Amino acid sequence: MKQFLKTIFLVDLLQGLWVTFRNQKPSLIYTEQYPKERPSVAERYRGAPRLNVHPDTDETLCIACNLCALACPEELIVVGAERNEETRRKELTTFTYDTSRCMFCGLCEDACPVDALELTQDFELASYTREGAVWDRQMLEEGPLPTEYKH
Amino acid sequence: MEEILNSPYVFPAIATALIIAVFPLVAGYIVLAERKVLADFQVRLGPMRVGPYGFLQPLADAVKLLLKEDIIPAAADTWIFWGAPVLSTFTALTAFAVMPFSDRFYVADVNIGILFILAMSSIGILGLILGGWSSNSKYSLLGALRSAAQMVSYEVPLGFAIVTALMVAQTLSMQGIVQAQYDKGIWIAFSNYGLMLIPTALFIIAGVAETNRAPFDLPEAESEIVAGFHTEYSGFRFALYFLAEYASIFVLCGVAVTVFFGGWLRPFANVGFLEVPLNVIFPILLFLLIGGGCGVGTMRVSQAYEKGIMAVLTLAMLLVAALFAIPAVNVLIIGFFWFLFKVLILIYMFIWFRGTFPRFRYDQLMQLGWRYLIPISMGGLVVNGVVLLLTS
Amino acid sequence: MATQTTFLDTNELVLNMGPQHPSTHGVLRVILKLDGERVLGTECVIGYLHRGVEKIAENRTYQQFAPYVDRMDYVAAVSNGLGYCMAAEVLGGIEVPERAQCVRVILTELNRIASHLLWLGTHALDIGAMTPVFYCFREREEVLKIFEKYCGARLTTHSFRIGGLQYETYDNFEKDCHTFCDWLDKKVDEYEELLTTNRIWVGRTKGVGILDAEACKAYGVTGPVLRAAGVAWDLRKAQPYCGYEKYDFDIPTCQNGDTYDRYIVRMAEFRQSTRIIRQAVDSLPSGPIKGKVSKVFKPPIGEAYVSIEAPKGELGYYIVSDGSVQPYRVRVRPPSFVNLQALDEMCRGALIADVVAIIGTIDIVLGEVDR
Repeated sequence: MKQFLKTIFLVDLLQGLWVTFRNQKPSLIYTEQYPKERPSVAERYRGAPRLNVHPDTDETLCIACNLCALACPEELIVVGAERNEETRRKELTTFTYDTSRCMFCGLCEDACPVDALELTQDFELASYTREGAVWDRQMLEEGPLPTEYKH
Repeated sequence: MEEILNSPYVFPAIATALIIAVFPLVAGYIVLAERKVLADFQVRLGPMRVGPYGFLQPLADAVKLLLKEDIIPAAADTWIFWGAPVLSTFTALTAFAVMPFSDRFYVADVNIGILFILAMSSIGILGLILGGWSSNSKYSLLGALRSAAQMVSYEVPLGFAIVTALMVAQTLSMQGIVQAQYDKGIWIAFSNYGLMLIPTALFIIAGVAETNRAPFDLPEAESEIVAGFHTEYSGFRFALYFLAEYASIFVLCGVAVTVFFGGWLRPFANVGFLEVPLNVIFPILLFLLIGGGCGVGTMRVSQAYEKGIMAVLTLAMLLVAALFAIPAVNVLIIGFFWFLFKVLILIYMFIWFRGTFPRFRYDQLMQLGWRYLIPISMGGLVVNGVVLLLTS
Repeated sequence: MATQTTFLDTNELVLNMGPQHPSTHGVLRVILKLDGERVLGTECVIGYLHRGVEKIAENRTYQQFAPYVDRMDYVAAVSNGLGYCMAAEVLGGIEVPERAQCVRVILTELNRIASHLLWLGTHALDIGAMTPVFYCFREREEVLKIFEKYCGARLTTHSFRIGGLQYETYDNFEKDCHTFCDWLDKKVDEYEELLTTNRIWVGRTKGVGILDAEACKAYGVTGPVLRAAGVAWDLRKAQPYCGYEKYDFDIPTCQNGDTYDRYIVRMAEFRQSTRIIRQAVDSLPSGPIKGKVSKVFKPPIGEAYVSIEAPKGELGYYIVSDGSVQPYRVRVRPPSFVNLQALDEMCRGALIADVVAIIGTIDIVLGEVDR
């Protein structure tokens, strides 16, 4: 009988209406207005790659060991190195990183023995050209310019 | 000059021009309101980018639709494809002719008013069917077939519900129906010892179906048949269908308000002491509240032009509030206010349904229509008739 | 049958549904043979998202291939990663530390919730209820935030490595998990309020796309589809891995095997998953997170098949090793692909609207079907 009355008075439908109605509270709005408000990404976020330099001397930390290039599944890292005859050490000359093929798996930063290569919290990587997605050593060391939006 | 002004055609002509000129804009803002309200149900914001809080979105949409390439599929039946949306829009707008916006503002008070609206909405269906058929697309065809079947079946309970109300009102004229409710001192929806609630509920259900709104939006069920009858339409023709759809929603809500909820009468129209609180204080408070909201919005938006628009809106709302305070103006606009207020409440309910319910299946829709709504509406007719007869 | 000459052409209508269609969940193409709105037969055309994942594996080292498996069932990337890593670990005979096992369980269960949330939202959207999808994505966002904090990626996480984990849990990991579980339980109640008893929802799903236990077994269908048909088969119980035997949870089952039952089963699985997460978080042991794996992972010659209970069903990885750093052959048994086979049987005699509901209820991800 109770069931029957519930059916007649559309209790199930009213219940649903109540759920949507009470979710109207403005405080429940979940939207993030992206270009206006930048999301804060987690500390460990794997975004734009960066080649770290020594904070005091501005010299690159990279020892040109090529481990990142070997670890990369997509083989998108090319490390150029030259042997310095005086110190008998390999020194980094060029470093290219093709962000268009990158899947941000983080294997390169795991492989890096000196924490030179790092995936940073920067996530705005769009570029107008395909060439713009291939980052050279300078770009990797300085990082991409922060994007500015006009709303 | 004097002669022209006194001619009985002048006011209707002006009113017609006004409706045709203003309604597309109103429809645009109903769409915006729908998107905003729906967004509210769904814990999101809705359009926010064009103008302050998305206020100019309808204009942007209109410009976009008008500038779009006009595509006619190669296999389409060109002339019918061209004419179908026009037919839909034409009939939907024609129905406004007998809509009693207030005791003063209407195009015509025809003694078969309600029949005229029903006839127009029936012809409007033809536009959907022809559009779906002439597109020569399978999805469109399915959508057209669905809409044909749906409209035919739901017009029956809709008609019965109206007939029941007409028995109470004793007239077919839209103005007359409102007048009858004034004389009775009760809205038809609550008259007859509450028995009229049955046809009222049926009218709203069948009306949702009649206007192809969720949960009865099968003709344009996007998850099944992409966009139904207007799959192949784009640009301006699509805009016409859109306009027709919103016009028919408005008309249907208008009919519901007129026939069941007292038209332009305020609630408790015969209770004298409520005159001031409901006709003066309520609208003033309402518009002050909206104006206050706009004022807060003005503070919040950042850009100069957004601030300007919001400030103008605020002032406009305060001005409207002030208008209600002037007794001479109040008398002119209060009927219109109540009519629009009730229509908007109904439209809000339509959006609410859309935000909550899943869609019916084709066969369930037919089943609901033929096995439940039609018998119940007939039963409602008989019961109400008997009660009327016994009490008169 | 002799062809009858009729005035009207009464051929069947062949409708191409997809690959671009709002509700074929990506790029599935279903060729429907229709009589009016009734479906006489269906034919699935797949492969629009084929990327040759199994072939890629043959040219990558074992570690390098791990991020690719995330791209198959991208909705449940963690489960994919778990299956692959476990298969490689079996091949290399690697012991995974307790703590790593436990974190793996937590993340996989969180991912199950995320996957089911996406399923619920899109399924409801297919059936025409447009609001649940937004609520579901809100809850899913919380899961993705936990993933992001844990490993730095939201969707294709690459959170597990062969031998254990790469990342230690972050500071508030336990608290986040508890907060999320409590919140989700409340939200699931809300979904149930919105849908479970709703007569339109029940009408649209009850008796639609029935697949009984026998048919399920014949097609090799697994996961919630099988459990909704009344078979209590869950690999987490049947052949426990990752220490699932330590946790107390039930296998929700139903009897009829229709769309409604699959909905009920998945809704119950939300609650079971939060139950497992709570237990796992509370019993999170301390210790190392990675077993002994050399940098150059070279498993001995041999083969391994490991299957796990992914959100969509049994997910199996078969790896053949020739003793080098690259697998000789990797074969994936994707649950979506196998479950999709039953589509024709489920759709026959249904209406177009049901086809959409059935595609939704199988819960396919085309990345996994096409690989």
